[in-house]
This record gives sequence, C-alpha cells and structure tokens, in this order.
Amino acid sequence: MATSAQRKPIRWHIGVLLAPAILIYTVIMLLPVFDSLRMSLYGKGPDGAPMFVGLANYTTLLTDSYWQGPFWNALWNNVVFFIIHMLVQNPIGILLAALLSLGKLPGREFYRTALFLPTMLSFVIVGFVWKLILSPAWGVSKTLLGSVGLGSWFAPWLGQPDTALITLALISVWQFIGLPMMLIYAAMIAIPDELMEAASCDGVTGINQFFKIKLPLIWPSIGVVSILTFVGNFNAFDLIYVSQGALAGPNFSTDILGTLLYRTFFGNQLQSGDPFMGATIAGAMFLIILCGVCVYLYGVQRRLAYYQM
Amino acid sequence: MTQGIARRFQISTLAAHLVLIGFTLLALAPTLLVIMNSFKPRKEIFGAPLALPSFETITLIGYDTVLKRGDILHYFQNSLIVTVCALFFIILFGAMAAFALSEYRFPGNRLIGLFLVMGIMVPIRLGTVGILKLMVSLGLANTLFALILVYTAQGLPMAVFVMSEFMRQVSDDLKNAARVDGLSEYTILFRLVLPVVRPAIATIAVFTMVPIWNDLWFPLVLAPGESTRTMTLGAQSFIGQFITDWNAVLAALTLAIVPMLILYLMFSRQLIRGITAGAVK
Amino acid sequence: MGKLVLEGISKRFGAVEVLKTVDLDVADGEFIVIVGPSGCGKSTLLRIIAGLSDQSTGKVLIGGRDVSSQPPSKRGIAMVFQSYALYPHLTVEGNLTLGLKQARTAASLIAERVAEAVRILALEPFLKRRPGELSGGQRQRVAIGRAIVRHPEVFLFDEPLSNLDAALRNQVRAEIADLHRRLGATMVYVTHDQVEAMTLADRIIVMNGGIVQQIGTPSELYRRPANAFVATFIGSPGMNMVPGTAGGGVLTLAGSGRLPCSAAANGAVTAGIRPNGFEVLPGGNDGLAGTVIASEYLGAESFLRVRLADGTVVTVHEHPDHGWLIDQPVTLRLRPGNLHLFDAESGLRIAEGPDAAAQPAAARVA
Ligand SMILES: Nc1ncnc2c1ncn2[C@@H]1O[C@H](COP(=O)(O)OP(=O)(O)O)[C@@H](O)[C@H]1O
Ligand SMILES: [Mg+2]
Repeated sequence: MATSAQRKPIRWHIGVLLAPAILIYTVIMLLPVFDSLRMSLYGKGPDGAPMFVGLANYTTLLTDSYWQGPFWNALWNNVVFFIIHMLVQNPIGILLAALLSLGKLPGREFYRTALFLPTMLSFVIVGFVWKLILSPAWGVSKTLLGSVGLGSWFAPWLGQPDTALITLALISVWQFIGLPMMLIYAAMIAIPDELMEAASCDGVTGINQFFKIKLPLIWPSIGVVSILTFVGNFNAFDLIYVSQGALAGPNFSTDILGTLLYRTFFGNQLQSGDPFMGATIAGAMFLIILCGVCVYLYGVQRRLAYYQM
Repeated sequence: MTQGIARRFQISTLAAHLVLIGFTLLALAPTLLVIMNSFKPRKEIFGAPLALPSFETITLIGYDTVLKRGDILHYFQNSLIVTVCALFFIILFGAMAAFALSEYRFPGNRLIGLFLVMGIMVPIRLGTVGILKLMVSLGLANTLFALILVYTAQGLPMAVFVMSEFMRQVSDDLKNAARVDGLSEYTILFRLVLPVVRPAIATIAVFTMVPIWNDLWFPLVLAPGESTRTMTLGAQSFIGQFITDWNAVLAALTLAIVPMLILYLMFSRQLIRGITAGAVK
Repeated sequence: MGKLVLEGISKRFGAVEVLKTVDLDVADGEFIVIVGPSGCGKSTLLRIIAGLSDQSTGKVLIGGRDVSSQPPSKRGIAMVFQSYALYPHLTVEGNLTLGLKQARTAASLIAERVAEAVRILALEPFLKRRPGELSGGQRQRVAIGRAIVRHPEVFLFDEPLSNLDAALRNQVRAEIADLHRRLGATMVYVTHDQVEAMTLADRIIVMNGGIVQQIGTPSELYRRPANAFVATFIGSPGMNMVPGTAGGGVLTLAGSGRLPCSAAANGAVTAGIRPNGFEVLPGGNDGLAGTVIASEYLGAESFLRVRLADGTVVTVHEHPDHGWLIDQPVTLRLRPGNLHLFDAESGLRIAEGPDAAAQPAAARVA
C-alpha cells in the first residue's frame, strides 16, 4: 500500500507543455518535408495515378536533356550567387564591425541603425527600388556615375545576361550586410579591453592587432554568418522572382534553384506544373543544404574553437 | 608631448567616420531617392532625380492613383495579423516546450530536444509541395490561418533552442521558492520564468519577425487570393500593374516602405540589442 | 636603467580630475606599491606609466628617457593585468612569444627568453596548452611570464591577485616577491589590499581621491602615518580614531581619560591608537573607562570591542585567553609611544614634541 502512495504522480504538465510545439512542428513542417522528399520518388503512372519510380526522377534531373541544362545552370548560378556573398559580404561586414567597435566612436548608434535598415525592407521593395535605380529609363545611376566622371561605365546591368546575376547578388549583399555586421560586431565588443591593451604593450597595434588578435577571436562568428548565408542563398527565391520574374531572365541567366523549383512545380508560360519533378528539385536542394550544414558542423565548426575570454 | 597619441587617434577616427558615412549613404540613398521622387511631378523625376522636391511643384498625384486603385491598408492589416499571430504562437508554444525540456528530467528529454532543434537546419520551403496538399485537404488554402501555421512551425525550432538555453540559467531557487509557496508549474512558467528570459524573447522576435513580414514565397503559394494578400505580395503584384506610371510606382513603394521604416525606427534599439544578444548597450 | 620618474602627472576625464599632480621617483630595482581604495585613480596612474592612456599634464621618464609620447611597446615596460588578458587563441608558448616576434627578435633569443621564463615560473608542463585549459593561478603565472620575456625596465602589475582565491593569493604573492628578488627589476604594483602592499613593497604610495597621501616604506607608513586617512588605511585591524581635545600639553579623550601630549596640539584633535597600543586593566583603574561589548577569538590572538564613555567603540588586541566578559567594565591604558595625533579638521598629523614618544604617557593620567 505504501508503494502506491509513494509512486510519483504522472506529470501531465510535461505533456501539455510539449504537445502544441511538437504537433505543429511535426504536422506542418516535418511531415510535408518528408512527404515532398517521398514524392520525388514517384511519377505519373500510365493511368494517371502516382507510381513509385525509385530514383528515376533524380536520374532524369541529372541526365535528361530537357532537365539537365536548366538544373546545372541553376545550380551553378546558385554557387556563383553564394560565392559573391561570401567574398563581398564577409569582408565588408567585418570592416564595418571593426570600425564600429573602434573605441567609443561618436555616432556609432546612428551608423548601426542606418546600416541595418535595408535588412528590414522586404525583397519586393529592395528588388523594385534597385530595378528603378538601375533602369536606363530613369537614368539615376547614369547621372550619379557621371557626376564622378564614370558615366561611360553605366550599362543596364540587370538586363544583360553576363552581369545580371552578379548585380542581383550585390543587391542581396546590400540588403543583408547588416546581419553579418551586427553578429561580428557583437563578437568584437565581447573581446575584453584589457586584452587589446596587453596587445599594445606587446607592440601588436593597428592592422596587426586586427589580424593577430581580433580576427582569430571572431572566426566562430564568421563561421555562423557563412552557414546562415549558405542556407539562405540556396533557399533564395524572392529577390530574383521580384526583379527578374519567374523566368529569371534575361535568358535564365539569373535562374537559381529556388526559381527553378517554383517554375517546375507551378508551371509557367512555357510549361505546365510537374509536382513530381518539383519535389525532385526540392529533394536535390535538401541534399545540397544538408551537405553544406554537415561540412560546417564536422569540418568547420570543430576547428573554430569558441575561446573562453 | 601628449599630442602624439592624441593625433594618431584623431586621424584613425576620421578615416573610420569617412568609411562609415560612405556605407551609410549607400544604405540610405536608394530608399531616400524613392521617397523623395514620389512627391515630384513626372518631368522632375526624370529631369532632376537627385533634387529635393520643391515647394512649388510638390505633388501627390502618385498617391492619388495608388490609393484609388489598391487596397494597401487591407494588405497591411493582413501582414500585421499574420506576423503578430505567428509571433505570439511561436513565443507561447516555444516557451512551453523549452520550459518542459529545460526544467524536467524525463525519459526522451534529450531526444525530443534534438528532434525539435533539428528543424533549424531544415528549410521549410522544401516542404512546400506537401504543405500545399495539406492545407488544401484541411480546407485552409487561401486563408491567413494557413500562413500563421506555417510561420509558427518555421519559427518554433529556433525559439525552443534559444529559450531553453536561457531558461537553464534561471535560478532554481526562484522556482523552488515558488513551488514551496504552492504555485502551479504553469504559473511558474508564465509568471516567473518568462519575465526573466525577456532578452531571449526579444532575440526570437527579431529573428522570426523580419522573415515573416518580408516573405513572398508562402503568400504566393498558400494565400495568393485578393482578400488574403499580405503587404509583400500585394506590393509585388500591385507595382506590376503600374509599371509605366512612375508616379504611382514610386508612391506605392513609399507606402510600402514607410510603415516598416517607422516601426524600425521605433524599435531599432531593442532589435539591435536582440541580435547581439544584449552585448550592445 | 630601470629608473622611473613621474613629473607633475595629472589626469582629467572631461571636467573630473581623477589624478592631481603626482610626482614620483622610483630607483632602479625598487618595488613600489600603489595602494588605495577602489576608484582612487591607481589604475589610471599605472596606465599612464604604461602609455595606455594619455596624461593631461606632466612627463613620464623611464631609464632617464622621456617616454611621454611613446607607444606602450616602446617604453620598456611590461604589464600584468588583473584579468590576465591572455590571448585565448594562442598556446602558452604563443602568448609568451607574440610580443617578441612582433619586435622581430631573433629566434635564438626568443627561445632563450622563453626558456628563462619557463624555468623561473615552472611553466614547462603548460607550454602547449591554451589559457582556457589552465587554472587561475597558472594563468596568472603565464601573464607574469609574458612580462618577463620582454626583459622590461619596469614591470607594471594592476591588481594581479584580485581574481585568485585566498589561498592561491598568498602563494602567488610570495612568488612575486621571490621574482623581484631574483630579477632585481623595478616593479610598480597596484593593489587595494594594504596587506599586499605591506608585505611586498620597498616603498608604498598611498592614494585617495586622486591625491597622493604619503610615500614611504611600510614601517614609516605604519609608524608615522602622515594623516588620518593613511593611519586608518594601513594596518589591520585599522587604527582606532578617538575624538578629543588638546591644550597645554594635556589631551582629554572620549570624555574621560586625560593624557599628556605634544604641546603643539591645541583644540579639537583626533587621537589614533592602534589595537595593540592599549593595555586592558580591570575597571576603576587610571585610564580610559569602557565596557567590553564583544570579543573575537582568532586562535593565536583575540580582539576586544570596547565602548568608551562617550560611545566611541575601539578595537583592542588581547591574549586569546584574556578572560574578560561581555558587559564587564574595563580600563584601557595607553602603552607608551602609541599615540598619534591628527588635526580634527584637516586630518593632518600633528608633529609630536621631542619628548612625547619617550614619555610613559599612560602612567601619569591626571
Ligand atoms: N575612461 C574614463 N572616463 C571617465 N572616468 C574614468 C575613466 N576611467 C576611469 N575613470 C574614473 O577615474 C577614477 C579612477 O579610476 P581607476 O584609476 O580605475 O581607479 P582604481 O584606483 O580603482 O584603479 C574613477 O573614479 C573612475 O570612475
Ligand atoms: Mg583599478
């Protein structure tokens, strides 16, 4: 009798607390993602009903002459899009963070607020604003460049196949520069003043101080920024859809996986929607992102020690 | 004698200001350019795009066109409903789950934690096909509720992760004192723990609010109908209609920017503090 | 060589003057401790010597060279910080060598210097570890090692023991004293702890509110504190300060006791008597009448808290097994040569007459 009295009561509240989150997360997010991945293993059977086809869709995507071209094109564009982000966004983000963390720079709050502002704007606004500004019809850019004597440099960058993608990547960097800046800034101001003073006693000053002391201490933040950028870039869609349309013109030169997925699944002027191939592209994106995340977790993050300061 | 150090300091500060001012101009100019030109007559938009609107020629013709045709206010309301509700559910359900995971030891605790947090790395967009099927079968296609559900699911993993980290740091003494006083576990969570982890909530709010407000993908896929259009989707299709009427396009863009701008200026301090996890004063 | 001279150093932050004209002459090889309560400007002074912040006026000379406008690395100093400030991403070896490598020192010389520091501080087992993998005491040794390898003319320490626990603090303190003996280098050491100051220093600088109160050897400060602040700050437990009036060579204390004193004293004064300056006698004897209100037993000794007639409470040193009871009336008699007089208003020491210290003061209470 004593045992039953002593047994712990069932802690219902644990279940009550966990249930909503698990339910919504599983039903709305996980199951559909798995459903999509599963769907990529099916195709339209002869009777119109779905039919299991194994990895045939993936083979089609990679080898079929109709699918192969657009897929590799989109993947390559996506890689270029990511590389431009890494090359431009990280150095500028670090530079801005380093400048903001210089002593007690007057006005840094203003700079911080202003530099972060574009991040708050939606892709739609950013896409259109830049489309207008770069439009030869308006000519603002030409006037601006002309005023510094570079008028002849101007070209309709968004309209030319060989410059459109780079231009869009730079616009995207313009929009999101605030995030890497803030994350790296936070890491920099967490470095104790005494450490920098010790460095100047050791004669490590100026640019040396940055490369020998600060940079090694902010690598982890740069790692986080990079993986966030990677996941973001391989999911990107909005900016290109808004400024170039679903066809990612001119001539698919700005087509990335996100726009390819959208076109494939929902169809467009050129083709009707194909949910199975859409799911296959989603599956491919999933694998790419998974690979990226794994490389980061096992290859990069382990080597970037978080130093106790 | 002491000028040496002082002067070196001033030169580097000056250089820092110059670079920062350059980037600040680059960040602000496009937005300012659009707002400025939205008040000018067509001739000036093209003739002197960089000039401030002058008193004699200032015009609201673009706004006139836009407000007559579009339903910007309605779109804005939709966006607000979706963002606020999603944020509310993310924080409510996220806090509940995070409390359960960080406060109690029970079998499967770590496993459930991992299961939930794994979602940070899974882009929900890749499940779009499945989500659309699900929403159609639930009869939720073209409703704001569908968007709220999706955004809640999307934001939960991050919320659970951040809040359970913070909740682990809340003093046990505080909670045990409350238990001795006979407070229920729910009261402890909502009355004691949540107020203490306010910085975590700020961080989560920032990280989830911006992508939700700005999202184009799910509104386009799940709720493209006129009555459920969000600001982002509305502005997108709307500007498309006026693409040759520069006054209207600039006015529409301004109308889309200004609410966000005001919100941002009001909350930028908290927002930046949230991103840097309180490191910025 | 390691001579350090400060000429008229002052520092203001905006309108606030945190250092008021400090002049100082440190001999080569001297161990100087700057002591004072928190916020009195010790770190500011040390940072000015190091070149980490600018003085508002004045000059810093090291080894006879005016280094006032030199950057820290060119001043021939090395600094040990309170938080150690070790480079977290470098191994102990990397921490020791970074400064030398920066100065493009020859590899053979670097190896020699590191070997020397490693030998002195017994750092061998930690060379390949990072600071995060060391205990507090080990980190502090590495920080000191980083200073040693620079072969500075002057070592600067800013509260180097504050982050250590009590036991470790005593040990590292002894190590620093030992280090000074071995290297014979000039050292300037900042602390808020007067015990550290007394045990380490050749000379102590007592500061308060940005003003140097007194400079002298530990025994000078203890025996002849220049003012009431130094008197209460140096020594533990602190000196008892009892209000009184003096006139015609007679001092009236705490409303009761009357003592002979220096003829120079006149009017309201503060009498300073250290806890071991009293002898406790049963109540009713000649001396200051009081009541025991508490007794603190410390094993080797004990301290009595005694309330005097006017309500002033004084601390008195006693044998551990003194036998006095709480609430028992006692008489405190001053031991000869234990009276310090300070002006009640300015707090400045009142010079004793030629005979004051020699007279058996307590013996002749009127
Ligand atoms: N950068 C600064 N700006 C303004 N006041 C300062 C600054 N640094 C120190 N102070 C002030 O100078 C005084 C002395 O500080 P410090 O030298 O650090 O004292 P401590 O003796 O405790 O080391 C303090 O009152 C402090 O508030
Ligand atoms: Mg200090």
